[in-house]
Amino acid sequence: MITALNHTKIQSQNLTLLGFGFVLVLVVLASLSLGAFSIPFPQTLAILFDQIGIQLGTFEVQQANVLLQIRMPRVLMAMLVGGGLGIAGAALQGMFRNPLVEPGLIGVSTGSALFAVIFMVLVPTVSSLAWIKTLGLPLFAFIGGLICVTAVYQLSKSQGRTDTATLILAGVAINALAAALIGLVLFFADDSALRSFTFWSLGDLGGATWAKVPVSLMLIGVPSVLLLLNSRQLNALALGEQEAFHMGVNVQQVKIRLLICSALVVGVGVSMVGMIGFVGLVVPHLIRILFGADHRLVLPGSFLLGAILLNFADLIARVIVIPAEMPIGVITALLGAPFFIWLIFNLNKSKN
Amino acid sequence: MLQASQVHFCIRQRPIVDEVSLELNPGEILAVLGPNGAGKSTFFKILSGEIKCKHGAVGYNGHDIHKLKARDLAAVRAVMPQHTQVNFPFTVQEVAELGLISTKVMQPAKLIQEVLEATNTSHLKDQVFNHLSGGEKQRVQLARVLVQIWETKPFPRYLLLDEPTSSLDIAQQHAVLKILQTLKSRNIGILVILHELNLAAQYADKIALLKNGMIAKAGTVKEVLEEEILEYVFDHPIQLIQNPVTGGLLISATAQAQVQTSIPTFKQA
Repeated sequence: MITALNHTKIQSQNLTLLGFGFVLVLVVLASLSLGAFSIPFPQTLAILFDQIGIQLGTFEVQQANVLLQIRMPRVLMAMLVGGGLGIAGAALQGMFRNPLVEPGLIGVSTGSALFAVIFMVLVPTVSSLAWIKTLGLPLFAFIGGLICVTAVYQLSKSQGRTDTATLILAGVAINALAAALIGLVLFFADDSALRSFTFWSLGDLGGATWAKVPVSLMLIGVPSVLLLLNSRQLNALALGEQEAFHMGVNVQQVKIRLLICSALVVGVGVSMVGMIGFVGLVVPHLIRILFGADHRLVLPGSFLLGAILLNFADLIARVIVIPAEMPIGVITALLGAPFFIWLIFNLNKSKN
Repeated sequence: MLQASQVHFCIRQRPIVDEVSLELNPGEILAVLGPNGAGKSTFFKILSGEIKCKHGAVGYNGHDIHKLKARDLAAVRAVMPQHTQVNFPFTVQEVAELGLISTKVMQPAKLIQEVLEATNTSHLKDQVFNHLSGGEKQRVQLARVLVQIWETKPFPRYLLLDEPTSSLDIAQQHAVLKILQTLKSRNIGILVILHELNLAAQYADKIALLKNGMIAKAGTVKEVLEEEILEYVFDHPIQLIQNPVTGGLLISATAQAQVQTSIPTFKQA
C-alpha cells in the first residue's frame, strides 16, 4: 500500500509540474499576442505554427516580425530569468535553512549589478571587443553575486546554523554598500547613467534580443539543471548541516555547488535584465504552501512558477501604460512586497 | 568495533574531553552517563565525526574516521543529535525517508513502514513535522535515524544517540530502549547518552561514567553502579536499592542537605 502511496506522490508531483507547464504556455501565448502592437490570437498561433512548417492561417509580415524578433526573445528571456530567480531563491532558502532568504534581500542581485556596472564602465565599447561583452558581462556579474552571497553566508552563520537577524542585517549592509558603489560608478560614467540606474535597480526586459538568448540559456539553464540535481541533498540540509553530514551528505561540497550555481543564475539574470526583486522570495513560498517542502518538487516548481510570474509581470508592465512601459521591478515589488509583509507577520505569529 | 583512543579536545586551553579511550562492540548497548558539562556531548560529536579530533584517534571497524567519506561513514553509523529543527513544512514520512538518502535498499517503502511502526509514529506519517509535540518529534527523528541502519548488512554498524528520551513519557522511554535492545541482534553497537540512571541500569550492557572530561569508571553495569562512584560523579547522595519485584538495581537520589538549607535562607532574603 505504501508503495502505491509513494507512487502516487511522485505521480501527483509530475501532475503538478505538468499543470505549471500548461499555465506557462498560456501566459507565453498571451504575452506574445498582447501589447502596444496587438496581434490577434489566431494570427499568433498561425505565426508560431508557420515556424514549424504548418499552415494555419494568414498573417502580415509586420505581425510576424514583431512577434518573432521583438516579443519572442523577450518572452524567452523572461522565462529564463524568472525561472532562474525562482529556482535560485528556492535553493538559497534551502541552503540557508531560512524562508526569508531572497537573492535581492541578501545582496546577490545588488552585488551582481555592481560588478556588471563596473564592467560596463571599465571595458570600453569598442566594436572589436563586442564578443567580450556578451560573455564577460554576465560572468563578471556572477563573480559579484558570488562574493556577496558568500560574504552574507559567512557573516550570518554560527555553528552551522544561520541566524535570521544577522542574516537580514548582513543583507541590508551588503545591499546598501553595493547600491552606493553602483551610484558612485555611474556618476563617473557617461550621460546615460540616470537611465541605466533605473535599469539596474528596477529591471527591464526591453533590451532582450535573440543575441542574448543563447548565452542566457547556457549560463542560466545549465546551472538550473545542476541545482535540480541537488534536491535530495537540500532535503537533508533542511534538518541541519550536522544532520545532513550524519546521513552521508558531503555538506561542504554541496554548499559550494549551491552557492556557485545560484550566484551564476542570479548574476547572469541581473546582467541581462537588471535587478528584479521578490520573485525569488514569493515563488518558492507559494510552492511550499501549496505542495509541501520536498525540494524534488519545490525546485522545478519554482522554476516554472518563476517563469510564469515574470512573464505575467512583464505582460502587465507592457500593457498598463501603452505605449510606454513600466519598469518590471515595480510590478514584481507591488506583488511581492505585500506578500513579504504578510510572511513576516505570519512568522511572528507562529513564534508567539 | 568502534574505538576511541586517547581522544583529547580543548576549548581555549581548557580540556573538555581529556584523554578518553572507549570501545563499543557490535551487539552491545553502552550508556554514557555524567553530570551536566562533563563533556558527554562533545565526546559524542567527536565519535560521530562532527568535530574533528586533532589528538587521539577514532576508528570504525578499524578504519580511521578521517579517512572515511561522509557517505561511507553514514553506511556504518547513524547519529541522533539532541535537537533537530526543521524549518520547512516536511511531513513525517518525508523526514523518515531522508534516512535513506545515501543508501540504496531493496524495498524502501516497506522498510520505512516497518520503522514507523516500530517507533509508534506510523499514524503521524502524513502530518507536518513542525506541528508535532516534542515527544512525537523525538520519535520521528529516531525513526529517521533507524531507517539509515535498519536493513541488515554483513558488517557491524553503530548507532549513536544523544539523550534520545529527553522529551518522552515513561512508557515511550522504555519503548525506545526496547527498540535499541532489538537492534543488538542486527549486529549493531549502540552508544547512548542518558540522564536517567535507572534506564541505563535496566537496559545497558556497559556503562561509562564521565566527569570533567575524563572517564571516572567504565565497565559492565554491575561493576560501575556503586554508590561511592556515583556519588563522586554526580556530587549527590545516591542509594542503590534492590527492586523487590524484578531483583534489578534501583538508583535512588535523596535530596542533598545543602539544597534543603538554602531554601529557607532564600525565603528570608
